[in-house]
Amino acid sequence: MAELGRAALVISLGLAAYALAAGGYAAATGRRRLSDSARNALVGCFLSTVVAAAVLASALARHDFSFVYVAQHTNRTLPTMYALSAFWGGQEGSLLLWLLILTGYSALAILVNRKLHRDLIAWVVPVLGGTATFFAFVLVVIASPFNTQTAPIDGDGLTPSLQNPYMVAHPPMLYLGYVGLAVPFAFAAGAMLSGRTDERWIVATRRWTLAAWMFLGFGQLLGAHWAYTEVGWGGYYAWDPVENAALMPWLAATAFLHSVMIQERKGMLKVWNMVLVALAFELSVFGTFLTRSGVVNSIHSFAQSSIGGWFLAFVVISSIFSLTLILWRLPLLKARTKLESAISREAAFLYNNLLLVALCLTILWGVVFPILTQLVEGESRTMGRPYFDFFLRAFGLPLLLLMGIGPLIAWRKASVRSLVRTLAWPIAFSVAVGITLLALGAGASKPGLIAYTFSGFVLATIAVELVRGTRATGSLFVLVSRNRRRYGGYIVHAAVVLAAIGIAGSSAYSTTHEVRLVPGQSTKIAGYRLTYEQTDPIVGDPNRTGDYAVLNVKGPWSGTLRTGVVTYTGFQETDEDVGIKTDWLRAQDLYVIANFTNGTNAVYFKILVKPLINLLWIGGIVFVLGSLVALWPDAREQRRLATRFAAAQA
Amino acid sequence: MTWAWIVLGAVLAGGAVLGVALPFLRDPRPADDTIGAPSPREARRLALAEERDRALAALKELEFDHRTGKITDEDYRGLVSPLRQSAATALRALDAEMRETAAMDLPPPVPEPTPPPDEGTPPTPAPVPEPYPPPDEGTPPQAPDPEPEARRGQTLV
Repeated sequence: MAELGRAALVISLGLAAYALAAGGYAAATGRRRLSDSARNALVGCFLSTVVAAAVLASALARHDFSFVYVAQHTNRTLPTMYALSAFWGGQEGSLLLWLLILTGYSALAILVNRKLHRDLIAWVVPVLGGTATFFAFVLVVIASPFNTQTAPIDGDGLTPSLQNPYMVAHPPMLYLGYVGLAVPFAFAAGAMLSGRTDERWIVATRRWTLAAWMFLGFGQLLGAHWAYTEVGWGGYYAWDPVENAALMPWLAATAFLHSVMIQERKGMLKVWNMVLVALAFELSVFGTFLTRSGVVNSIHSFAQSSIGGWFLAFVVISSIFSLTLILWRLPLLKARTKLESAISREAAFLYNNLLLVALCLTILWGVVFPILTQLVEGESRTMGRPYFDFFLRAFGLPLLLLMGIGPLIAWRKASVRSLVRTLAWPIAFSVAVGITLLALGAGASKPGLIAYTFSGFVLATIAVELVRGTRATGSLFVLVSRNRRRYGGYIVHAAVVLAAIGIAGSSAYSTTHEVRLVPGQSTKIAGYRLTYEQTDPIVGDPNRTGDYAVLNVKGPWSGTLRTGVVTYTGFQETDEDVGIKTDWLRAQDLYVIANFTNGTNAVYFKILVKPLINLLWIGGIVFVLGSLVALWPDAREQRRLATRFAAAQA
Repeated sequence: MTWAWIVLGAVLAGGAVLGVALPFLRDPRPADDTIGAPSPREARRLALAEERDRALAALKELEFDHRTGKITDEDYRGLVSPLRQSAATALRALDAEMRETAAMDLPPPVPEPTPPPDEGTPPTPAPVPEPYPPPDEGTPPQAPDPEPEARRGQTLV
């Protein structure tokens, strides 16, 4: 069966290379049939990659240890769900998933747009083909998941921390985001290569960018929740290089989603948008390089090998390609209009873009700094949490404020008088929020207090927008359905505010208590009383052994809480299984980590009370909801675009 | 069993070759084998259509911002005229481009004998394209209200 997988990958490589070479030649010489043939090759590349993926999934489900990959990442005791998720638990499988999603996106994007934008698609095919060629080449030549061996009796098993429901969903979600950014990049490159830098590439990729951005954002939140429940240190984001690798393209894509609106409305920022699309794509490949190369120390680098150099070469070559294209097409990318006022919606978008890109680049500097110091000084020096926290506050808090101001400023030009009048209610509300919080003792953390005050301001502006808009149109439903992008965006803003409140609450106002207890002893923290009752060993689970401490809890949440230390079959290292109980009224968690001591019945407990943390996860759901509202097809918009293209082709 | 997989692989390869060759097999001697990029005229029309959409969207936004109180009446009056002018210019430019294209595409007119004054019907003028629908919020741009402050006071406050 491995032969079929290998053959399918070789065919994928051949088809992708054909799409690159024949597609490029066809686009350059204007040959229709050859261009269609290259397009078919890219669709065929997806189908053959589906066959390769099906072969690997089948081998994982059947525990076919004659596949080296299956033997390295599963064992017989592994539940089927985790055996299948081992598809992306290792390097070769992850790369196959990359190729599968890339070719799937490519096939769909070119089939959907093939009639409307024929000349553009002719150039998009070789760009996507080039990207697919790289991944297929790596899979065929360097990191094949179809290497075989004499089957051992059992496999090595899956890394314990990956045996978590979140790890079933988190990597595919992230990959859907990472890889999805290849589509807008290919259309932007296609627009520049064809010399058609009108809005068609934006129209064609608007939803692709939004979908990729949604997957990337939601994937990160799933990863954060995984870290919170599985890694067992009480946090959810540690500024780890691999975590940052997903955050950076998301920030660049966020900037693009905002700035592209200025291009649509004013014909401005064409060069900037090209740069942002290229940056988002390059950062997504760079993120894969960081995860897979092992050049940085990360708890998330589950698979490391020598493919890093290939990825770095690809990032460098594609960056030079993008930069050359932009410089070559600069005359076509000139803006037709200028910014009319520093107080306008487009100016607010511009400030937002500068802050987002500044945050993205400072994070990038923090990520590459250890690599550079290793190269230059021979010794790796890392940027610690204070560096990242400082810039998150420096750029994040003004961004939060702009999120409130932007929607309330008119396009083109707004007078100070009208701005003050529009912002009066939200300012009054946020000041009231700040004073109330100060009175309640929240002044202990200045960044926390500022974040809450700004959050109150943003929520008030969203409410004002919805109330005024509903009054103007007569119905909230009509208001939202007639401009889904805008109001979907406001829902996403509300999600960001919820996340900001959750982050500020859980980091600035959390309580931590460490204590050693023997059965029968109690401790108190933030209104909770915890009594350690007994130790409960795991019995009859072939995949896991270990002990759980059982605690009786009384307070805002009352009941029994279990927290333990687990060892998975085939692995030496232990895994903390933290105990978490949620008080939904306060959106806070009681979070307990146990550390058993050998030879005694005493247990060391680390107990954390994290107020408002659950608003971060609720914000994630609201984020997806808002993204879906913005993504939902709009018949009016489709008609408008149809009229536009009909006018052009009349 | 290995042979079965190899045969399946060969079938897959055959399918790939067939798919790639399909455009040539389906249309071996095409009358036109060019990709069909937009002509300069089409590209110009698309640019004008984009300009028209942009101008109408800007008018629409301005109207909505005014109705929701984001801009004062004074600002509104100052902004609406240039926007209307640019929208009208864009519409006229696209209209002129379309007429020019239509005229170029028409066969040369055949001279006909002039009908006597009491015969025939006067030629019907070509239908004027309908104003382009606004992109969002559903309210077409309107003439400036002489007393918008008072009106908004009734509806919004």
